[in-house]
Amino acid sequence: MNGSENETVPVIECREVTKVYQSMKAGRRSSVCALDKVSLRVGRGTIIGLIGPNGAGKTTFLSLIAGLIFPTQGFIRVCGHPARSLEARRSLGYIPESPVFLSRYSARAVLEYHAALHGLSRQAIAAETGRLLAQLRLEEYADRAVGGFSLGMRQRLALAVALLDHPRLLLLDEPSNGLDPIGVIELRRVLLDVQQSGATILISSHRLGELEKLTSDYVFLHQGRIVEFGGEVPAGQMGRLHIEFLPGSPLVAEETLTPYRSLERSEAGWVVGVAGVQDVPQVVSSLVRAGAQITSVALETQDIEQTFVRLYQERDGS
Amino acid sequence: MKAYELIMETFRRRASIRLVHLSWFGMYALIFLIPMPPEAWRWGTFLFGWSGCLLPLLLSDGIFGDDIASGRIRLLVTEPIRPGELYLYRFLGLSLQAAVHIWLAGALILLLQWLTGRGSVDRFVVWMLASWLLFNVWAAFSTSLSVVVRRSHNSMFLFIITAGVFLVVSFLTTFFPENPGTKAYLAALRYTCPPVELLAKMGIGKCSLAASVASIAHSLMLTALYGAAGIVLLCRREFKFVAD
Repeated sequence: MNGSENETVPVIECREVTKVYQSMKAGRRSSVCALDKVSLRVGRGTIIGLIGPNGAGKTTFLSLIAGLIFPTQGFIRVCGHPARSLEARRSLGYIPESPVFLSRYSARAVLEYHAALHGLSRQAIAAETGRLLAQLRLEEYADRAVGGFSLGMRQRLALAVALLDHPRLLLLDEPSNGLDPIGVIELRRVLLDVQQSGATILISSHRLGELEKLTSDYVFLHQGRIVEFGGEVPAGQMGRLHIEFLPGSPLVAEETLTPYRSLERSEAGWVVGVAGVQDVPQVVSSLVRAGAQITSVALETQDIEQTFVRLYQERDGS
Repeated sequence: MKAYELIMETFRRRASIRLVHLSWFGMYALIFLIPMPPEAWRWGTFLFGWSGCLLPLLLSDGIFGDDIASGRIRLLVTEPIRPGELYLYRFLGLSLQAAVHIWLAGALILLLQWLTGRGSVDRFVVWMLASWLLFNVWAAFSTSLSVVVRRSHNSMFLFIITAGVFLVVSFLTTFFPENPGTKAYLAALRYTCPPVELLAKMGIGKCSLAASVASIAHSLMLTALYGAAGIVLLCRREFKFVAD
């Protein structure tokens, strides 16, 4: 595969992925559908926030992409290679929710160990270890046993391990767990640097405010399914444009507003989903050109937290 | 570097590994202090029991199970390494530890026997080889079991299974020695379980050269078979988010 082909191959490609967990309890077989026909394509150099309530299937989804578990149905490719293949593993870095290392090893030994698993030479291992200890500001603790590390320190070390050998895809499961505010800021800086270098990051986090500083692209999972935000509209920038018309105008507006996602409609007006304030003049001018008589326009923007709550309430019925 | 790190990890992963080696050496030395009639002890048999049968249980204790239980395995199996390599290098780590252990133990026992004149060191080098071969078979069995049994339960399971099998064998050979079922059971155990009996015969010198070579080949094949089963299990295993 040459370089130009690489550009076009999606970094993550999931098609109709379903995961059902089977278990035996008291002699009875039970099954839980953790993911239900999830499809997703993610290109190069993007940060995607994976959000959803507890039990939505976020960790399952990350585990499937990382090749830790097998899908019950569907297929997953990482940089064009089947998940769990050696090539897919070579392309990705992964941080589990609670990273664990051999407690007797120092941070430097952990990095050297994982760098060796990447098949790097002795010189490359030394160079990568030095680079990552510096990048994650772990030099001071490099020769201390990991067993004495706080959760935040282990998270930083896990990030260093995940960044070994410049992965093209980073899968992060709650990476800011246990990090202090400075650690969170540093994590953001590192992740943005990684993105700048062309890597793709899929990050699962409950810290929505933090996510919002990293990305405007989200995947909302609820009960194992991806919930649509509204076509191509990124959830973080999502706006609800309330347009009211004189009687009769909604019919005229129907064709004009077709490209936008209609959220609510009534006799008096429509509410449509827009990407943000930049879309408002275009929507209004096209309505006017079509002959709609507008009486009021109001844009209501939502941050990701509001969007999350709204989507959750819509799905949960509460 | 990959092989080196994985091999060394089997030695470094627990502080107790060094302690096991040291205490075993202490045991080899202490046994010379026990009053015993001359020639009562065959040091080869002693080494065979301690390093061939018991040492693998302690060194392979939780070799995969510890990582699976703690969740560390999730970091390992997302690295660009084949499950077969992961298994193989870990097994090699155990096997190399055993080789070094048996050489050092052999040197210690020979030195103490030379100094005290106690016991017998007949066919000691053959016993050393038999001990290492037996270690490998047990270690492969235990390592494969560790892929499916969580935490450090692989060694305990293996110990219980072995004790159970031994009890059944004792019962059958005591009460139904001539029964065809007993003979079939013993034959099945002889060729499918770690070849304690065959290698012991080789150590004692009760078998011909051809039979000794066959015993060596048999134990190597069993090691490969148990190892292959472990690799298949590792390839097919899911690593869900479960931490102790």
